[in-house]
Amino acid sequence: MLKMTHLSKVYRTEVVETYALRDFNINVNEGEFVAVTGPSGSGKTTFLTIAGLLETFTGGQYHLDGVEVSNLNDNERSRIRNEKIGFIFQAFNLIPDLNVFDNVEVPLRYRGMKAPERKERIMNALDRVGLASRAKHYPAELSGGQQQRVAIARALAGSPRLLLADEPTGNLDTQMARGVMELLEEIHREGATIVMVTHDPELAARAQRNVHIIDGQVVDLAEDPRFHHAVHQARANSPA
Amino acid sequence: MQIKPILSALRRHKAGTFLIAMQIALTLAIVCNALFIIQQRLAHLSEPTGVDEQNILVIQNEWVGSSTPAQADARIREDLRVLRELPGVADATASNSYPLRGSGWDDGVKLKADQLQDSSGATIYFGDERFLGTLGLKLAAGRNFRAEEITGMDVRDRLAPPVVMVTRALADKLFPGSDAVGQTIYLAGSPTTIVGVVDLLQAQSVDRWASAFAYRSVIVPRRLGISLGGFYIVRAMPGQLQDVMRAAPKALFANNPRRVINDEDGVLSFKEVRARAYERDRGMAILMGVICLVLLAITAAGIVGLTSFWVGQRRKQIGVRRALGATRQDILHYFMTENLLISVGGVLAGMLLAVAINLWLVTRFEMQRLSLLYLLGGVVILLLLGQGAVLAPAMRASRVPPVEAPRSV
Repeated sequence: MLKMTHLSKVYRTEVVETYALRDFNINVNEGEFVAVTGPSGSGKTTFLTIAGLLETFTGGQYHLDGVEVSNLNDNERSRIRNEKIGFIFQAFNLIPDLNVFDNVEVPLRYRGMKAPERKERIMNALDRVGLASRAKHYPAELSGGQQQRVAIARALAGSPRLLLADEPTGNLDTQMARGVMELLEEIHREGATIVMVTHDPELAARAQRNVHIIDGQVVDLAEDPRFHHAVHQARANSPA
Repeated sequence: MQIKPILSALRRHKAGTFLIAMQIALTLAIVCNALFIIQQRLAHLSEPTGVDEQNILVIQNEWVGSSTPAQADARIREDLRVLRELPGVADATASNSYPLRGSGWDDGVKLKADQLQDSSGATIYFGDERFLGTLGLKLAAGRNFRAEEITGMDVRDRLAPPVVMVTRALADKLFPGSDAVGQTIYLAGSPTTIVGVVDLLQAQSVDRWASAFAYRSVIVPRRLGISLGGFYIVRAMPGQLQDVMRAAPKALFANNPRRVINDEDGVLSFKEVRARAYERDRGMAILMGVICLVLLAITAAGIVGLTSFWVGQRRKQIGVRRALGATRQDILHYFMTENLLISVGGVLAGMLLAVAINLWLVTRFEMQRLSLLYLLGGVVILLLLGQGAVLAPAMRASRVPPVEAPRSV
């Protein structure tokens, strides 16, 4: 589903080159739930933005759903983002001027979908996250957990091949975070491929597989015993 | 189309939307009416005089010292002889006035001696048998004056010419559907017979008060032999106008130095006469045009300012839209459509306002009803202006990268 090979991302200024990702390799299979972890500044978000075609990369190869994306133009990248990728952001990123229904509708409109199909998908997605009754509410009228559920509904409505979540519970309290995480697990059980960036070992432990990034490179968990231990502990404590 | 969500978003920004729509409405209302007034002024500017304007010059002559009417008339005839003998002069005549002069002798014309109300107002031109030829006027019916019919006239004399010529406009007014030649009219209380009808001769004044009889003129066979002087109208041969303008005053002074011909406006080409006559109209048209441009510029600046502000304010959501699959064109279209919706609201209100302002002008200042074409033209101008003004900020918005979405955490 997602394969990056020797991928690099360099930020250049007049005096310095900074490698955000260096010789980065990762392979996510269809149906997997992968947690990407690492300390702040390790390159997690850069990985996610490149994976989501929000940003270009400097070198290497990236195949998304079998398509080499490095040569795609801006419109083609937009189309792939719209059709194949669902985003869940830490800050929810709902559009404050639009109600819940219209927010979920945004990516479907860009796909040129007809109104009846849009409506059906939106209501299904909202039903799925338990917010069908809040369709006419504005984001400011919802709790943080509800807003993130709307964001998940927006990501799901387009039936994406890949869900990319960037610290999806980062702005939520424990109870709301648990609810969102359970929702993601449920979505995964239904066959979705999910890549979730998190710095929370407990959340990472609930994924099928952990990928750890340090200094822009994927490292073996054994090389960071503290994180390895934390994840091990979290898995041991997990009720499942 | 994104109309529904755009309208939803606009409902959340009522103040900015309302203000810019009202600015568009006000601009449309003012621009429509101003353009209509400009058009009317410009049409007024190009009204024909009936005179051969290319080759005519006018000399204002004032005598120094007093003289009897007979002496004054003799001097005029002598001056005309001098002018007609000048190289490059086709002909010359003397008159009390000329078209577009601005003021002169206007009088009422009656069809019966005991009539209380005038049948029409008319401009009174004094002219000899060479008046028509000098001015390049066309005789539409009847005959020109004969030399023996021309007499001198003092300002104290009663205007009682035995014959007159009238313009076709006056003839049609006085005798609609019938021949005016041979008919009797009453001028200053005295009967006179129409012997000729001139095709076209504009009045002296182009002001609103004279518009009722703009082309209704009477030519009387008189030379105004007053000591104060009068006007010589000279027709130069083609291409000789400038030479004649220089030579004529010199020749007149050589003939009789006891006169004043003002250096500044004593000798005027008809082109200058026309420019002076319509100076106020032209000035008004230019002022209206400038006001229109300033208003349009302010409205455009308002649209640019508001859209730029909204683009800055919505940078995050533009990034989110891009992340969710919007192309650059989608973002560009979003802002263009948003502006179009605001503009449509503005022009709808503006059309009503424009009609209301016009109705007020019609009632208060006897203006004509605003043509629908000007209203539609104004709508097109405002819509295009809106789209043009929003283009730069909308393009800036379209360049917001999708990576703004996660960055905005």
